[in-house]
Amino acid sequence: MNAMSPTPSKAYDLNFARWVYENVDGGDRMALCMQCGTCSGSCPIGTQMDHGPRKLFMMIRAGMKDAVLSSNTLWNCVSCYNCVVRCPRQVPVTYILHDLAHVAVREGYAQAKESDNARFAKAFWWSAAKYGRTDERLVTAKYYFSFGVGEGIKRGMANQKIAMGMVKTKRMHLGMPHKVKNTGELHAILAKAAEMEAKKHGAK
Amino acid sequence: MSERKTGVYLCSGCGIGESVQVGALEGVAKSEYKLEAKTHACLCGDEGVGMIKADIEAGTNQVVVAACSARVMTDRFGFEPIQVVRADLREKVIWSHPAGDEDTQALAEDHVRMALTQASKIKAPEPWTEGEFSQTIMVLGGGVTGLSAALQAAGLGHDVLLVERADQLGGHARTASKRLPHTPPYDKPEANDIGVLLDAVAANPKITVRLNALVTRTAGMPGKFAVTFADGTIEDVGAIIVATGWRPYDATKLGHLGYGASPDVVTNTDMEKMLAAGQLARKSDGKAPKSIAFVQCAGSRDADHLPYCSSICCQTSLKQALEVLETDPTANIFVIYEEMRTPGVAEELYRQAQSKGVIFIKGKVKAVGADLTVTVADELVQQDVPLAGLDMVVLATGMVPNSTNPDQAMVEYGAEQLNGDVDPEAPIAVAGYCGEAPAAHEKRVQSVPEGGPLLNLQYRQGPHLPVLHDGFADSHYICFPYETRRTGIYTAGPVRRPMDWAEAAEDAAGAVLKAVQAVRSAAAGAALHPRVGDLSFPKINLNACTKCRRCTVECPFGAIDEDEKEYPNVNPTRCRRCGTCMGACPVRTISFDNYSVEMLSSMIKAVKVPDEFSGKPRILIMACENDAVPALDQAGIKRNSWSSHVRVVPVRCLGSVSLLNISDALSAGYDGVMLMGCKPGDDYQCHFVKGSAMAAERLSKVGETLKSMMLEPERVVQAEASIADSDRLPKVIDGFVETIMKVGFNPFKGF
Repeated sequence: MNAMSPTPSKAYDLNFARWVYENVDGGDRMALCMQCGTCSGSCPIGTQMDHGPRKLFMMIRAGMKDAVLSSNTLWNCVSCYNCVVRCPRQVPVTYILHDLAHVAVREGYAQAKESDNARFAKAFWWSAAKYGRTDERLVTAKYYFSFGVGEGIKRGMANQKIAMGMVKTKRMHLGMPHKVKNTGELHAILAKAAEMEAKKHGAK
Repeated sequence: MSERKTGVYLCSGCGIGESVQVGALEGVAKSEYKLEAKTHACLCGDEGVGMIKADIEAGTNQVVVAACSARVMTDRFGFEPIQVVRADLREKVIWSHPAGDEDTQALAEDHVRMALTQASKIKAPEPWTEGEFSQTIMVLGGGVTGLSAALQAAGLGHDVLLVERADQLGGHARTASKRLPHTPPYDKPEANDIGVLLDAVAANPKITVRLNALVTRTAGMPGKFAVTFADGTIEDVGAIIVATGWRPYDATKLGHLGYGASPDVVTNTDMEKMLAAGQLARKSDGKAPKSIAFVQCAGSRDADHLPYCSSICCQTSLKQALEVLETDPTANIFVIYEEMRTPGVAEELYRQAQSKGVIFIKGKVKAVGADLTVTVADELVQQDVPLAGLDMVVLATGMVPNSTNPDQAMVEYGAEQLNGDVDPEAPIAVAGYCGEAPAAHEKRVQSVPEGGPLLNLQYRQGPHLPVLHDGFADSHYICFPYETRRTGIYTAGPVRRPMDWAEAAEDAAGAVLKAVQAVRSAAAGAALHPRVGDLSFPKINLNACTKCRRCTVECPFGAIDEDEKEYPNVNPTRCRRCGTCMGACPVRTISFDNYSVEMLSSMIKAVKVPDEFSGKPRILIMACENDAVPALDQAGIKRNSWSSHVRVVPVRCLGSVSLLNISDALSAGYDGVMLMGCKPGDDYQCHFVKGSAMAAERLSKVGETLKSMMLEPERVVQAEASIADSDRLPKVIDGFVETIMKVGFNPFKGF
């Protein structure tokens, strides 16, 4: 696998599409997409996407790489799997969107750095990787402060009431974060996975 | 026929005995017709049938059965060669009208009167079997359809004359590359096996092949066609299968898709030849193309070119794309389509092409540049996209039917047969059309393929095989696909509708079965579809003929020619026995042994018409026995009810109804007349093509006559009926009765 995806030189230059078919998780099935639109029609948050999955897939074929990788579609997918269940050609739409999000991160697209969902996903992963659990308080704080210190405080204050309510009803706790019993082992596992991933991307 | 001895049999079973007084029906036969009727409680049982058979043994030579509908129990009440007349007391009387009612009783009595009158007016038909009949089947066209037809016909034991205009057999298949998939799993191009067909035809001793053959003239009729060839030889054949196939649409008309702008814009037929030769190369520089775009619907589904879908171009492009990818898996292939049409298992081919990486772009082509840049209004990414760097553009052109011979000049005479004298979209003018009248259309300009007549038929109605939609031979796609409007001449393959190789081979088998039926029936003097086996044929009393030519013009099948003195001359085996000539004849000189204007009028007059003081109207329905009568039977089976003041007279086709029948009915005191038959005109359902259209045409002229008789034009209407109308027709009838009650009683009543 090439670390970076090729950049098409003209409309329907197939180099990017073929790279996606070969390198993105589920991309091989994407060749069978017949543009019926069942995925986009089934998507509960389709209205919150720049392009529905159907159109995004066609844009991949049309060589519109920048538009695809800076699309919020990759980040707004909520993994409900409606599209995957309903696709008549068994295209694993959700996997493809998530893997394309990785591609966007790797290749440094602005949307992958700056969008709310990208920030939140990073905060989520930070907690999960560090403690083996997601701590609402820390994930939220991490997410809020990713916008900067001033913005973080402003957002935190704005949601103070909700936070207090959650604490009262024991939906969020103060004190040390919950964690899995042996975080050391978790970190070892993740380090190994990262090493394998790096090796995969570094190859060729 | 020697002295007429009519046996009358009444059935009191199936509830007939409980609903009407069968004794009174016997009385009608006795007092009005001097005939002794026998009643049985289960006439179709062995005992009842035995009783009839015993009487036949004893000399009865005509049988009237008053029981169930004439459409059921035909095996029980079939006593060949004895003629059987059926009166329906069940479906159209007791199942559709209240039991024990005096009007139901009157209806049953009138059904018996009509049947007995009918019996007195007919005789057993003697078939026309003069001279020699050929059992040879000629197949015109030596492509896949023709070769398959020849083999099928020979397999059924008939001599076959296979006629091909080129110098070798095989048609388009000979120069084609691989075949569309026709065996499971239907996902890849399959080997071109035309050689198998060619070898089988060559090895078959029953098939005679004529190559480089041009038919200059075809005279005669089924069983007796004389086909003249350009070299002067004449062949006698019994039936003809037209398998002339197709020609590609003229790509020079596709300048807007870049044809002609670059030598590397080719058609799918060019592509097919290149693939077959194993030399896929650009015409400009001989290099193998690396990027190819297929443009679907090139001149198809386009009002300015072919308005229809040729159904196989999508599959053909998929096949060609897969053939290219077989030799070069890295080729870039684009299919630009509006809708991919891959009927049935062809979907597998589409899936295969996708999995091999063919890119499908939905949208219209806006421009094709000389540098082969194709600009597509891409509907899927919603912008105009230029496809640059292509090496070749393939235009997927459609099929034009060879319903004319492109090697021959167009002839003026009979051209209306090519332009559809039954205009599928012409408005049908009907006086007092019952229900919603069809909307008026502008007459559609028919795109008839250029060329002369295929067979040069020596028919009064012209040399052509009539066409209907878009230059395809006129037939009913669903109900009677191989029939043309020239009896004994059948079409198969793409001349009939666009189809692929496997379909064409199947189509050939269907047409062969019709042709075999045609030659065998012709020799027996029996009718073909839809009156299969009918031995009657039209007889014309030339002494009374006024040479008005209406019969020769109106016959839907061109069965009647004119002799040198301009008298009509019936070709009996061309005739389908619809009686349209009989309905057309203004002086009633045309009749069949078992069907005539006089018979219908006598049946109409046999009905007892109540006087106006009874407050009961009498209404006549002349119903087509192909669809309207079965629909009414079905209505009875469902116990749907309609007015018992209506009398239904079944007719062979509305085309056989003479205006004289209608004036006879009105003079006899009927208050209204309804003609109930198949849909005319636009997508006709008439089994005789234009019988109901002719009836409508005649009826459109009846309004003025009625006015001159001081009668309201509302009294005579035509109603459309299809076989599925069992729930609708009773309402149509009751609505008409209501209208008549508003108009009032016929002033001629009682005169």
